[in-house]
Amino acid sequence: MKLKKYLSLTRIGIIESRQFRLATVIMVIGNLLYLIVVYFLWKSIYASVETDVVNGMTFTDTLIYLVLATALFNFMEMYAVWEMGRNIQSGKIVLDLLKPIEYRRYLFWSYSGSFVTQFFFTFLPTFIVVSVVTHGAVPLGINLLYFAVSVILAVLINYSIDFIVGTICLYTESIWGINIMKQVIVLLLSGATVPIAFFPEPLKTVVYYLPFQSIYNAPLTLLLDGSPTLETVVTTLGTQLLWCVGMTLLGKLFWKFSLRQITVNGG
Amino acid sequence: MPPIITIQNVTKEFKVLNRREGLKGSLKDLFSRDYKIVRAVDNISMNIEQGEIVGYLGPNGAGKSTTIKMMTGVLEPTSGEILVGGNIPYKNRTKNAQEIGVVFGQRSQLWWALPLIESFKLLKDIYQIADREYENMLEMYRSLADIEPLLHKPVRQMSLGQRTLSDILAAFLHNPKIVFLDEPTIGLDVSMKSKIRELIHALNKEKNTTVILTTHDMGDVDALCRRIVIIDKGKMLYDNDIEHLKGFFGSYRTLKIRVEGILTERAEEVKAQLPDFSVSADEEWISVLVDEERATVMEVLNQLRSSFDIRDMQLEEISTEDVIKKIYEEGVE
Repeated sequence: MKLKKYLSLTRIGIIESRQFRLATVIMVIGNLLYLIVVYFLWKSIYASVETDVVNGMTFTDTLIYLVLATALFNFMEMYAVWEMGRNIQSGKIVLDLLKPIEYRRYLFWSYSGSFVTQFFFTFLPTFIVVSVVTHGAVPLGINLLYFAVSVILAVLINYSIDFIVGTICLYTESIWGINIMKQVIVLLLSGATVPIAFFPEPLKTVVYYLPFQSIYNAPLTLLLDGSPTLETVVTTLGTQLLWCVGMTLLGKLFWKFSLRQITVNGG
Repeated sequence: MPPIITIQNVTKEFKVLNRREGLKGSLKDLFSRDYKIVRAVDNISMNIEQGEIVGYLGPNGAGKSTTIKMMTGVLEPTSGEILVGGNIPYKNRTKNAQEIGVVFGQRSQLWWALPLIESFKLLKDIYQIADREYENMLEMYRSLADIEPLLHKPVRQMSLGQRTLSDILAAFLHNPKIVFLDEPTIGLDVSMKSKIRELIHALNKEKNTTVILTTHDMGDVDALCRRIVIIDKGKMLYDNDIEHLKGFFGSYRTLKIRVEGILTERAEEVKAQLPDFSVSADEEWISVLVDEERATVMEVLNQLRSSFDIRDMQLEEISTEDVIKKIYEEGVE
């Protein structure tokens, strides 16, 4: 059974992430601090304008969006760039390349375990708390299904971007700068730190043609829009699917090409 | 049966940027196209049969790892042909991976935070090992080493010796045709070294696994390898049985004598008497490397006794280590 070897990687990832309980606690505390900052920042932003609604979003809307974006970030961010970079620097990558699984898949499935744990330990609790606290400001209906599909696509796109950036580490052999750059670009242009609705018009247009908004903006829009029209659903998911396929292919080709360079020229 | 590994006229060249000195130089390097070609492996050929343990030796930077990386498929040869179990390794790396196991001395493929058994279970699924084969393998491991306490110990809590042992077991788990061991006994104490050697020997015997072993420890070679291959500066210097190697240089023995006076000065006099042989001295002994094809040790000793008052003497057989050292230094003539 082919799937078994991948699920086995998921399984070990779950066990492994449970080994670091303290890390989970610290992460939760860190997130709370971040959310407190976000709360007061946006409160003062809304206080400084006369209207309750800014760019079509109320304070509550914005806050729900950002809290869920943070939860989503915890769940989707897998620091694959770090991992690849470290393995490239230390040479451990050779051992991973010698597994009878394609490296791109091997790495993804190695992380899949932490998706599962993070989903249950950070995203789901946050989501429940937000829905309860806001008294049903988050619509619960068919949109949850769209959201689930959208998140899976988002995870795949996010991974592909990480993988492409990680591949660059093969050339640069440094990780830190590249990783920070990637993180800032992705978080900003995906709408994870500031909702895309707040972006100035020209930037908004540009962002819609980039893959990043498919990671955070797309699933959150589908989730928070109570009754999205069929057209919205199809275009959003369709765009995500296109990016997903495109980025996966790009990542695959870039890796193949780079690895060939390495096997020919040595690393 | 055809050999499990065939290497034919394999050469591997690397392009290396010529780096310049200083800040200015490093800026210029950004745009430099000034490459030099380094030949890491130079026209090597060998065949390795199923079930052999081959010691692959050479000084640091000789091209050993490069050759192994080519055999595992991580590097592609610049020219020449490599076949491993009928596959071209770099073209079918994933397929090749199923047939080989690797242990790189300093690195571990085990899951750091988890008990060893979890790594084994995962490897079982990744390599798609059937339940029965897996059980048999564990049974065999139990008979070879005391693995029970290791199985439930997180890898990060293991000593280096235990970890190396575990890594070797992990590499053999999917019953590969070939296992590459890169300096498996590096940094281990004497008793652990001998344990590891016994284990490798037993695994090779039980499963008829081909083992390619690189090491700097001649104890490993003496204990495990019947055949050794020596390379230096990318060129193959020697490929034959270990006995043959000793025969090659075995006509040499070292005669050590102690005489009155300052030994380094007296050594000059000995040298004058024995112009054919190499003479050296340290604080304790004057050593004469006697080529027994020219004169027996007794003849040399008698000759020295006539002119020196010899207080003490020792005779040393040449060890594998000395032979290898001699080959590294002088090559095979």
